[in-house]
Amino acid sequence: MFFYYLRLSALSYKRNPILSSLMVLAVSVGIGAYMVIFTLNYVMGGDPIPHKSDQLFHVQMDIGSPGQDRDMPRQLSYLDATALFEANQASRETMTSKFAAVLEPANAEIKPFTIDGRGATADFFTMFEIPFIYGNAWGSDADKNVEQVVVLSKEINERLFGGENSVGRSITLQENQFQVIGVIDVWNPMPKFYDVNNGAFNKGEEVFIPWALVVPLKLSRSGNTNCFKAVEEGVQGFLNSECVWIQYWVELTNSNEEADYLNFVNSYAQEQKKFGRFEKELNNNLLDVNEWMIEQQVMPDETRILSVLASMLLAVCLLNTIGLLLSKFLGKSGEIGVRQALGAHKGSLFIQHVIEAGFIGLIGGLLGLGVAAIGLEGIKVLLGEDMMMTQWIQLDTTVASVTIGLAIASTIVAGMYPIWRACNINPAIHLKTQ
Amino acid sequence: MLEMTHVSKSFRTELVETRALDDFSLTVGAGEFVTITGPSGCGKTTFLNLAGLLETLSSGKYFLDGIDVSELKDYQRAKLRNQKIGFIFQSFNLMPDLNLFDNIDVPLRYRGVKASERRDRIEQALDSVGLLSRKKHVPSQLSGGQQQRVAIARALVGNPLFLLADEPTGNLDSHTALGVMELLHEINDSGTTIVMVTHDQELATRSQRNIHILDGRINSEEINDPTQKRTAA
Repeated sequence: MFFYYLRLSALSYKRNPILSSLMVLAVSVGIGAYMVIFTLNYVMGGDPIPHKSDQLFHVQMDIGSPGQDRDMPRQLSYLDATALFEANQASRETMTSKFAAVLEPANAEIKPFTIDGRGATADFFTMFEIPFIYGNAWGSDADKNVEQVVVLSKEINERLFGGENSVGRSITLQENQFQVIGVIDVWNPMPKFYDVNNGAFNKGEEVFIPWALVVPLKLSRSGNTNCFKAVEEGVQGFLNSECVWIQYWVELTNSNEEADYLNFVNSYAQEQKKFGRFEKELNNNLLDVNEWMIEQQVMPDETRILSVLASMLLAVCLLNTIGLLLSKFLGKSGEIGVRQALGAHKGSLFIQHVIEAGFIGLIGGLLGLGVAAIGLEGIKVLLGEDMMMTQWIQLDTTVASVTIGLAIASTIVAGMYPIWRACNINPAIHLKTQ
Repeated sequence: MLEMTHVSKSFRTELVETRALDDFSLTVGAGEFVTITGPSGCGKTTFLNLAGLLETLSSGKYFLDGIDVSELKDYQRAKLRNQKIGFIFQSFNLMPDLNLFDNIDVPLRYRGVKASERRDRIEQALDSVGLLSRKKHVPSQLSGGQQQRVAIARALVGNPLFLLADEPTGNLDSHTALGVMELLHEINDSGTTIVMVTHDQELATRSQRNIHILDGRINSEEINDPTQKRTAA
């Protein structure tokens, strides 16, 4: 009977094309607008590294003073990050920070330009499973020996070397020669979980160098630096300060490792109290990737407001649909009466009209995909190309399926009252007057 | 076959209660052709709606083919309607979007008949009313008489025990009406029980029995010899 009812739905659409099209329009506008916001939330709120997000933990230590009314620091100080790294208590761990530097291309025709780079210890690449096109990441020896090696992004490799295998070649970064040892493939985790300080949805870095080079080369830090106490002058003064500017991640494969590592961090903090540091009660955190994204509220407030507005628009559109469906279904009272006389019971009439409402929802959903596609293009224009997420804002299969599914489901829900009314007409009245 | 005992039906509004049928008792046997006559508002259509299980009784008992229908649930009443009753309406009540084949298909769909059997039965029903060649036409392409023939084919396609006809010739000219009546008599001759509501006394005399209703009660009952009338016509 499903296909029979589907055919009846199509005939019913043809009988009242204007009324039916108005319903489709209402559904498509409501669903389309909702799906634009859904897609944004979907892209922004997704798990950036789903198969191991529960094994990667961001380390957070509260170095504030009891009198300070400040949020818990997002990052670690140089002192603490270095101490944790040297203790080597996790199966994998990385300290990392973003910097900006001037790159001087070997080709004199290309003018020097500023690039975004990242200093990181060797495990950064394996922990975050960064794919390579050419070469490899550096090993821990390069960290220890402060080797001037560099890993390039695919984009910068194309710009400097035309996309060729550049392993073994050199680049000049901040007047220092670096040997290229690897080129990574496109890697844009969304959100950029490993460093939310520099915009969770901004583009990734173009070059990666061993962490040990960041300080000696006096590279400009990018991102937030928050100091909890006065800073002494000079580089060493800054390194010894209570200023946080380093992201620290550890990979822990099970809950025992997680508990052990937190104990270690707490012990370290307890130890530091003897030197007058960590004045507050112990308040250290290990948050996995998704917990960290929630804690950092990477979803902008605007998306929440837009979500509410889109939901309200969808509700208004569905309210209109209720009215239109009521008009349509009650306009079929004569036919419903005849069907009852011929043997239809309320259950079969209910199913018939649920399918008819679903049919309207299906067409509305298909049209809604178009509305959503146009809306998303508009969002891309608004956000601009600098936002990495614009590459990801698109109607993929999941979003398209959700759009169609939501359109069908919401139209059926909106149709419940009209369907109930239609199924409960008195056939005797309508058979005489039809 | 159809047995109503002390049946009453009331319609209540906020201000007034109207008793459409009052202590109404009637038995119709298998193979009978019974007409129901009476002035407007006397309760003819209410009787037909009760008989066709489209309305529920306010009180009394109603047995249809030996089944007490008074307490049946909606889906049970729908099943009985589908299997035992065929309806013919004054205004034909064909579905304008569906062609003749699909119109006649409706009761068989609700009965769950297989596609091949449905096709055979529909074509047979259309053939019996002389409209097989127009099975792909929609109702608006037919005359009133032809539409009523389609409605009769739809009523008959499920081989019901009896037909309930509500003024089946009311929207037809006299010549066409005679044709429809001839068809109904042929159906009755083949064994189908017919209960027909009509205003037309002339048509009423062509049935075996005419029940005259007044103010919701049976006022009189006449036994006719329809064979003579049909021959004369």
